[in-house]
Amino acid sequence: MAVVDRNGPIADKWTRLADDAPVPRAASVIVSFARLKNEHNSLFSTAAGVGVEIAGDVNLKELEPFLPRLGVIVVRFATMRDGRVFSIGRLLREQYRYSADMRAVGDFIPDQALFLLRCGFTSFEVAENFPLASFKQSLAAYSTWYQRATDRATTVRDLRRENAPSGSKS
Amino acid sequence: MYIYDKFDHTITRERVAEFSQQVARRLTGELSEDQFRPLRLMNGLYLQLHAYMLRVAIPYGTLSSKQVRKLADIAKKYDRDYGHFTTRQNIQYNWIKLEQVPEILAELASVEMHANQTSGNCIRNVTADQFAGVAGDELEDPRIISEIIRQWSTFHPEFSFLPRKFKFAVTGAAKDRAAIQFHDIGIQVVKNDAGETGYAVYVGGGMGRTPVVAPLIKPFVARTELLSYLEACLRVYNLHGRRDNMYKARIKILVRDLGPAEYARQVEEMWPLTRAAGVDIEPAEEARIRAFFAPPPYEKIAEPVASFVDARAKTRAFAQWVQTNVHTHKVAGYGAVTISLKPIGGIPGDASSAQMHAIADLADTYSLGEVRVTHVQNLVLPNVKQADLFAVWQRLGEIGFAEANIGLVTDIIACPGLDYCSLANARSIPVAQQLSERFADLDRQHIIGPLQIKISGCINACGHHHAGHIGILGVDKAGQEFYQITLGGAGDETASIGTLLGPGFAGEDIVGAVDKVVNTYLELRQAPSETFIEAYRRVGATPFKESLYGRR
Repeated sequence: MAVVDRNGPIADKWTRLADDAPVPRAASVIVSFARLKNEHNSLFSTAAGVGVEIAGDVNLKELEPFLPRLGVIVVRFATMRDGRVFSIGRLLREQYRYSADMRAVGDFIPDQALFLLRCGFTSFEVAENFPLASFKQSLAAYSTWYQRATDRATTVRDLRRENAPSGSKS
Repeated sequence: MYIYDKFDHTITRERVAEFSQQVARRLTGELSEDQFRPLRLMNGLYLQLHAYMLRVAIPYGTLSSKQVRKLADIAKKYDRDYGHFTTRQNIQYNWIKLEQVPEILAELASVEMHANQTSGNCIRNVTADQFAGVAGDELEDPRIISEIIRQWSTFHPEFSFLPRKFKFAVTGAAKDRAAIQFHDIGIQVVKNDAGETGYAVYVGGGMGRTPVVAPLIKPFVARTELLSYLEACLRVYNLHGRRDNMYKARIKILVRDLGPAEYARQVEEMWPLTRAAGVDIEPAEEARIRAFFAPPPYEKIAEPVASFVDARAKTRAFAQWVQTNVHTHKVAGYGAVTISLKPIGGIPGDASSAQMHAIADLADTYSLGEVRVTHVQNLVLPNVKQADLFAVWQRLGEIGFAEANIGLVTDIIACPGLDYCSLANARSIPVAQQLSERFADLDRQHIIGPLQIKISGCINACGHHHAGHIGILGVDKAGQEFYQITLGGAGDETASIGTLLGPGFAGEDIVGAVDKVVNTYLELRQAPSETFIEAYRRVGATPFKESLYGRR
C-alpha cells in the first residue's frame, strides 16, 4: 500500500493495528472504531498518535468525542459506488469541524479523487500499482466549479461576480 | 433562452477533455469495464443490446434552431440518420461507436450542449413544462430555477455517486404538464401568503416497480434558499438511502420507510448546515439567469386574426389540428404548436435528420428560433403567430408530422423496449405501431377524446405505464412476450397510479384488448364531454374487467 495526497506520494507514519495486537509505544496507529470506543483511554495515553478507520454506516455522533485527539480518519469505500464517503467527509469538516488528516481507502478510482478533495479529504491510501499519472491528470481536469463545497474552491459564481461591471456586485 | 458565458464553455470543454482521456484509458485497459461504467454513464453512454447508445441532455426541453440542426447533423454523421426524443426531454442515438463519442461531445459543446449526467446514479437532466414562458397559467417560467438547478447539480462533488438515479421536474403552473409528483423531487412555483414567489417541494415520487406519488415535503422555500434546501434533501438520501438492493435504492423507498414527516424533519435538521456552506444563489446571479428567460419581442396582434379564422372554417383537417395541436399562448395572436412525432404507424419520438432540419427551419421562420421537447415525446414550436399556423401545418404535413392527435389515443408514449434495450422483457415499439394503426381513423380519435396510452417494455417503467390512462406493461412469461393492462393512471396535477386489470395478453391479442377497453368507455360515458379518465374514476375497474375477462 502507498499513500498519496494531491501532490503525489507522501511518507506515511501511520501503521494499522489489529484489534488483538498490543498498543506499541511511540508509534502512530490506526485502529478500528470498535477498539477506539473500548480502549480510548489506553490508546491515547500510550500511542504517539491515534487514528481510526470508519465506514459509510458510521454514526458520527459516536465518533464526535474523540475527534479533537485523532490524527487521521480513514474512511472506507465499500465499493467505488459507495457515495456515502463524500457526505461523511463534508459532515466531518463542516459540522464537526474536524481538522486533521482525512483519508479515503478502498475501491475508489483516480477519477473520484478530485471530488473527495472537494469534500474535505486530504490523502488517499492506494495500491502500489495505483496509476499516478491518471490521478494527477484527473486532479487537473477542471479549472473551476459550479457549486461551493468544503474546499471553498473558486466557483463560476465567484468568477462571474469578479467579472461583473463594478457597481453590480452583490 | 440561457446562453453560455465563457465559464460555462470552459467547464463543458474540460468535461469533454476529461472523458476523452477516460475513453483512452478504457481502450488501453487501464480502466476495467466495471470502473469505466459509472464514468461513461455519467456522460450519457449506455451499452445496449446491439451497440452503444448516447443520450444527449436537453435541459428542461429547450432547444435553439441551431442546436436542432446540430442534433440532425450528428444523427446523419454518427448514427443511422435519426434520433429518438425521450420522456426525459432528451435525445438518444442508438448506433454509436465508443471511440467517436469524444468527437460527438465536442460537436455538442460547440452549440452549448452536452451529455452530462443523462445516466448514472447522479442528478439527471431537469425536466420542465414544455409550455414554459408561453402558458397563460404560469406564475413564473420554470426554466429559471431549472437552469439554476442544472448548474448546481453539474459535477456535484458530493452527489455523483448516489444510491440510485435522481430526477427533478419543475412546473411553473398549477396545471402540471411535467408530472412532477412522479419524480424524485418535484418543484412547483408557488406564492406564499405574503405574496412572495417561492417553491413547493415534493420528494419521493417515481415509477419503476414501486410507483409512488410524491408527498409534499415543504410547502414553501424562498427563491434564494432552494439550493441549500435541495442539498439537505440529497444529503439525507445519500447517507441513508438503501444501497444493498438496487430496486429499493430510490429516494421514494427512504421517504416511505421513514415516513414523509420524519424525512422532512431530518432535512430541516440538516438545512442550517447546508445553508452555512454557501451554496445558495446570490440575488445578482439569480437575476442574471432570470434575464435570459425574459419574454422575446412579441408583436402586438389583435384577435381574432381573420386569416386564421378563415382557414379554420375552410379546411376541416386544419381546424382539427388546431383543436388538438395548438395550445393557447399567453400573448394574443400567437399559439404554441405541438409537432406530433406520432405519425400513424410510426415509432413514437423518432425524427430523421431531414425532419429535424425542416423543424429548425420552421422555428427560424415562424417561432423566434426556438423548439421544445415534451415528455410525451413530441416537439413544440412555442411562439407561432396565428396568421402563420396554416403555413406551419402545411409544411409539417410535407414531413409527415402534422397528425392531429396530441392528447388523443394515438399520441402514445413507448420506451425503446426489446428492440434496443438490454433490460426489456418485451417489445414496446411494435405494440405502439399496431395500436396507432388500429386507431388511425382521426374522426374516431376525436370522438374518443383525450386518452393517454403509455407502454413500458419492462417493470422499470421508462414508458410511464403507471401514469397512463391506459398503461401497458410488457412482461416475459416463459419466454413469450405478454402485456398487462393498467387503467386509471395520470401524470398531471391529479396524479394517480394505474390499477392492474388482470392477466396479461399475448402480443397478438393486446391491441384487441385495448380496443375493447376503449369501446367499453364509449358505451358507458355519460356524455361525449366525459373523458376516459373521468369516466374511469366514476365507475372504477369493474366494467372494463368484465368486458375483457367476462363476468365472474
